[in-house]
Amino acid sequence: MVKFYQHTSSFEHAWDNVTYAFWLRYPNPFASHVVGCDVIDRQVDPETGVLRTTRLILKQGVLPRWGRGLIKNPDAYIVEESEVDPKTMTMVTRTKNLNHVRVMQVEETQTFTVHPENPKWTQVKTEARIISELRWGLTGRVEAFGINKFMDNSAKARKGMAHILERLRQNAALAASGAPVAGAGAVGAVDC
Amino acid sequence: MSSSIGEKCTNIKQEYDACFNSWYSEKFLKGDATPQCDDLFFKYKECLMKTLEEKKLDTLLADARKDNPFPKNSSSSSSDSTKKE
Repeated sequence: MVKFYQHTSSFEHAWDNVTYAFWLRYPNPFASHVVGCDVIDRQVDPETGVLRTTRLILKQGVLPRWGRGLIKNPDAYIVEESEVDPKTMTMVTRTKNLNHVRVMQVEETQTFTVHPENPKWTQVKTEARIISELRWGLTGRVEAFGINKFMDNSAKARKGMAHILERLRQNAALAASGAPVAGAGAVGAVDC
Repeated sequence: MSSSIGEKCTNIKQEYDACFNSWYSEKFLKGDATPQCDDLFFKYKECLMKTLEEKKLDTLLADARKDNPFPKNSSSSSSDSTKKE
């Protein structure tokens, strides 16, 4: 089975701050399941000026009881590929799980652009595809679990980003007031 | 700061992250894409690749990166809403 999901939301923060917060978003209080995050590849395309990054994220899975027999190792590895185009002010991120794909594969694409109604805000379009190859009557439960879990996780991810953005805003306000802050490093202390 | 998947790589990863963060916010977003953290990244990656091999994640990762997860006409929606944070 395949399920599709689409959602548009916005942050009341400028696009460059939102893309910066994306790199800083782990750890945050809404992502305690993320235990590791690594940059596998990163380069700027010399022709287009686009920054391409591949990251590998390790999450400690939370499974429903009926899922524990299906999955022995509850750790999930997620690959995240992203492109940032500073000229068009567009960031596209694609994530999918690397293991447990027979039980469920979740592929998510997020597009961050300047908000069409307010240039100081950022619009985020989320599209996801949830695929399960399971049979034996489990598909319905996996489907419901997958969609619910995905929506739950999406909400948590938005809260996590909002949390980091608020910290960035506070740091900027402190810097503007002349108080001593460690510049990017002050927030850098929480990055992925 | 979150850890590296390979415990022994965490220190070098965090050193690299700090370099990248300042480059991203102070250079890249302002139009200067001149690389600044390549040496740190090289050291970090060397450590990380050993870990990925040990955990047998290298081939899994290579396979996953071969396909394009989102061909253009793949999305239709089962739910759609707009809300503000």
